[in-house]
Amino acid sequence: MARKRERSDIVLDMLQSIQDKGGRIKPTHLMYKANLAHQQMKSYLEELVNKNFIRKVKENKYEYIIITDAGSRFVNKLKQMKEFEETFGL
Amino acid sequence: MTYRAVFHKLFKPKLVFLKAMIQLVYSPKWFYGKDIIIDLISVFALLLIAFFSAKYYSLKKNKNHLLLAISFVLMGLSFLFKAITNFTIYSNMLQTKQLGLIMLTYTTLKSSNLLFFIGFLMYRVLMLLGLYLLYSIYHKQDKANLILIIYLIMISTYFSRSAYYIFHMTALILLYIITSEYLKNFKRNKLPTNKWLASSFALITISQAIFIFIKIHTLLYVIAELVQLMGYAGLLITFIKVLKDGKKKGKK
Repeated sequence: MARKRERSDIVLDMLQSIQDKGGRIKPTHLMYKANLAHQQMKSYLEELVNKNFIRKVKENKYEYIIITDAGSRFVNKLKQMKEFEETFGL
Repeated sequence: MTYRAVFHKLFKPKLVFLKAMIQLVYSPKWFYGKDIIIDLISVFALLLIAFFSAKYYSLKKNKNHLLLAISFVLMGLSFLFKAITNFTIYSNMLQTKQLGLIMLTYTTLKSSNLLFFIGFLMYRVLMLLGLYLLYSIYHKQDKANLILIIYLIMISTYFSRSAYYIFHMTALILLYIITSEYLKNFKRNKLPTNKWLASSFALITISQAIFIFIKIHTLLYVIAELVQLMGYAGLLITFIKVLKDGKKKGKK
C-alpha cells in the first residue's frame, strides 16, 4: 500500500507541476496533476500565495497560477530535503 | 650512592607516571598535528550535515531530522574535544623535547593531566551518545532502554580510561549496526547517495576496528586516522551529492 503523502510532498507536487508546465498552469490542470480534491487544493493555494511562492493572474478570461522565484527556490529546497531523507533513511 | 641511583630514587615514581601518560599518546611524532587536522575535517563534515538537518526539521518538524542533527552535533563536538586535547598534549610534549629536562617534562604533563582526562572523557562520552542517538533513529528506543544504554555508555567510558579499546569496541558495534542500516537503505532505494553514505560509514567503522589495535604499533594509529579521514571526506561528498542530485531530480 502506498504511504499517505505528507504536507511537504503535496506542496512539492504542486510547485513541481507548475514548473513542469513552464512556470504557469491552469487551476484545474494543477488539481489533476497534483492529485488533489478541490477544497484541499484551495487551502494549499491560499497558503502558497500567502508565502509568495505562487501568484494568480488572469489572462484572456482564464485564471493561471504562476510560480515565483521564491517558489522555485523552495522547490529546490524541498527536493534537496527529500533526497536527504532518502539518503539517510529518515 | 651514585648520582644515577639518587636520581632514580627521587624520580622513579614520577617516571612511571610519565611513562603511563606518554603511552596514552599513540601517534608517532611525525604525525603530531596531522591527526588534529583530520579531526577538524570530521568536525566540519558533521556540523555541516547537522546544520542542514536542523534546517529541514524547522521546515517539516520531523523528529528524525532533529535526532540526526543532535547526533551529528554531539559527534562533531566530540572530535572538537579530541582535537583540543591532542593539541594541548602535543604542544606540551614538544615543549619538553626542547627543554630536555625530565623534571620540567613531568610538571608540564601534570598540569595538563586534568585537561587530558576531561578532554578524552568528553570525546568518548559525546561520541558514543551521538552514535547511540543515530542508532535510535533506525531502532526505536523506549525510555527504559534509553536510560539503560546511557548508563552502559557511561560505564564503558569510565573503563575506557584504563582500557582505551573498550571505547573503540563500543563505537565499532554501534557503527556496524548503523552501517548495515545504510546498506539496507541502499538495497531498497538504489540511490548513488545511499551507496556513498553506506561506504563512508563502512570506512568509519573500519577505522574504529583499526583503532582497537593501535597499541601494537604507532603506524596503526596513522592508518586508522587516514581511514577515518576517508570516511568523513566520503560523508562530506555524500552531502554535496545530496544537494546536487536533489536539485536535478524531477517529479517522481
